[in-house]
Amino acid sequence: MPSTKTPTPTSVRVRNNVRESGNPLGRPIIFAHGFGCSQEVWREVVPAFEADFRIVLFDHVGAGDSDLSQYDYGKYDSLHGYADDVLGVVEELDLHDVVYVGHSVSSMIGVLAATRSPERFGALTLVCPSPRYTNTDDYVGGFDQYEIDGLLDALDANYLGWSAAMGPVIVGNAERPELGQELKASFCKIDPDIASHFAHVTFLSDNRRDLAQVSTPTLILQSEHDLIAPVRVGEYVHQQIPGSAFVVLPISGHCPNLSAPDLLATEIRAFLA
Amino acid sequence: MTEHSPPEAATHPRPELQRKPTVTSAPDPVQADAGETDSELVNRAPCGLLVTTSDGIVTRANDTFLRWTGHDRASVLGTPFDQLLTVGSQLFYATRYLPVLRLSGEVREVALTLRCANGGSLPVLVNSSTEFAADSSPRLVRTAIFDSTQRSTLERELLLARRLAEASEARVRVLQDAGALFGACDSEAGVAEALVNLARHAFRATAAAVLLLDEGGEMRLAAGHHPLLDALAGTALRRPEAEALNAGRAVTIVSLADAQARFPDLADALRATRLEAVCAIPLLGGDRSQGLLICFYGRERGFDDDVLALQAALALQAVQVLARVRLHAELHNLALYDPLTGLANRTLVQHTLGATLLSVQRHRTGVGVIFLDLDGFKAVNDGLGHQAGDAVLKLVAQRLRSVVRGNDTLARFGGDEFVVVCDDLNDAKAHAMAERIRLAVRQPLPGIAALFTVTASLGIALYHAGEGTLPTAEAMLRKADQAMYATKSAGKDGSTIVSL
Repeated sequence: MPSTKTPTPTSVRVRNNVRESGNPLGRPIIFAHGFGCSQEVWREVVPAFEADFRIVLFDHVGAGDSDLSQYDYGKYDSLHGYADDVLGVVEELDLHDVVYVGHSVSSMIGVLAATRSPERFGALTLVCPSPRYTNTDDYVGGFDQYEIDGLLDALDANYLGWSAAMGPVIVGNAERPELGQELKASFCKIDPDIASHFAHVTFLSDNRRDLAQVSTPTLILQSEHDLIAPVRVGEYVHQQIPGSAFVVLPISGHCPNLSAPDLLATEIRAFLA
Repeated sequence: MTEHSPPEAATHPRPELQRKPTVTSAPDPVQADAGETDSELVNRAPCGLLVTTSDGIVTRANDTFLRWTGHDRASVLGTPFDQLLTVGSQLFYATRYLPVLRLSGEVREVALTLRCANGGSLPVLVNSSTEFAADSSPRLVRTAIFDSTQRSTLERELLLARRLAEASEARVRVLQDAGALFGACDSEAGVAEALVNLARHAFRATAAAVLLLDEGGEMRLAAGHHPLLDALAGTALRRPEAEALNAGRAVTIVSLADAQARFPDLADALRATRLEAVCAIPLLGGDRSQGLLICFYGRERGFDDDVLALQAALALQAVQVLARVRLHAELHNLALYDPLTGLANRTLVQHTLGATLLSVQRHRTGVGVIFLDLDGFKAVNDGLGHQAGDAVLKLVAQRLRSVVRGNDTLARFGGDEFVVVCDDLNDAKAHAMAERIRLAVRQPLPGIAALFTVTASLGIALYHAGEGTLPTAEAMLRKADQAMYATKSAGKDGSTIVSL
């Protein structure tokens, strides 16, 4: 339970640990990470854009090296709070014609941001999106409420002994010491309490009706086999977003940014060309 | 430590203990495992062992894994590892385990739950490490799986106990915070502000507002942000606020669909302001609602009994504090004003005079204190009773109000004595003012004491900055009082002016 203090605002760059790289004169491209990790998940994707794009990476508040003191449970109780932050980054860096690449839940965060300020966005790329994870009478999101509860249990089970269980992971890999060095300071850090709240918000939100409001050119990248966002969900997103492009990647899993970074980069570049 | 039997729900096959015959003599370290092959080492190990591709497809599994899960080898090989997990674990695997494994090359002691062939499940702890090819691309992943049924059972109990403890601790903390925040409140606005802050944090509300009913029954925003006020301005709707006030209980809207069904116009306003759920909690005090707390949420929300109870507890505290600050305001009023005439009382006029003297000093101006005592008042009181006397005092107060200037402070000093503090008063103005007062007071008293004559004896003390030392308020009042007595001695119904 949070305290009754409202966070004192800090700069957007500190709050969201904004990192810029690539070509400062290039078209801006923002990569937004999903639930469970941090901006690190884009590590293998980013190099393909360095020559000709102004690359903007950031951590959602609660993840990576974001400013945890800025976590306001009321603000982040819906994806709109996260969309506010994305727009804050866009405004702070004065970005226009933005290419937004969102993975998983950040797909919907991008949809909300782009429908709020369409004039700032030039393209949306939604990687493994799902507008609603739980099933209803007339919609198959893939999960029943008790299964989402199962995830929340799994989160708690793993964070019960947080430092003991996940701590060694942060230290790195003996076989690839260079990774350990690189990642020692901040690796996929997430605050357990915030992760639990973020999981609630991610898996219990319903953003289906926001899809039709998108006016930005949109590419949907779908894994052929993704337990979290199955193909039929990707197809639904494609049907709902007017004029969207839909590409099914011939891969398995929910994290093509990690398992098939080159393929992902190639598809995004092809869409933007 | 007591024995923990596995819960009945855990219907997976228990791992068998691989007991070897007890050796009584000191074993020869080489002889003891004579004939043990590497295959036995792997297949009989008291942990499940898997090899998967870098994409997570199972390519090898040891006997222990198959025995524990009840799967046969053919059904496991070629299957993605995450399909052997329960759905909750699949979500954790995809969002946490896999990114960490990809980025750092290994994961340790991750708690997952395996699906067993017989429909049961097996809680396990998992270590995985990636083996890289010469070009540092991932070649395969080796995974060791440990049965954690006992530990999980304990942890499950611990977890449930912790969740319960945290929930009740959170409630206690909210109420403690409420005690501290409310305790520091000295105004209605402060109470409303505190309630908004508490509610926003305790219920993780996107926005919250406190609306209070004024004496005319109108609802006004006392604190916080009500995102729908503008959207709904000028429309007469069956709003949850009205329903909560009328019914005297919380009204909740859990989703846009719920809003659409019960408050269709509200649903549009909610959508336009990116909100999906609302809870309106009446502030019930005494026999009526004082107002309400309304919380807004950016996504669908359920409101369980704990939340409703905490809302009600906060609302009750707020109402009690509201009653306290209102009483305080009333007492404050009583302490500074005369309840009969509504004029300032002695305390307030002394305070005002003190402040005026300082200002006079700073601005090099003058100040006058008019002391007024009624002549003939005692006769009215004795002849017609206190009620008539009170009526005379009220009428005199009214007449004095009509002749003093806007900035003057008019007070009932006590009994039938009145005081006027006038800034910027010189001798000429003092004469004019005294005459206006004298003539106003000596008017007839029709309907109250028609046969009686009441007049005013006035004493005026003047001070101008720069003339001698700055007098105290007490000194000014004393001089004016003495001047009033001089008027009385000289025949009443007149005035005496003295300068300090």
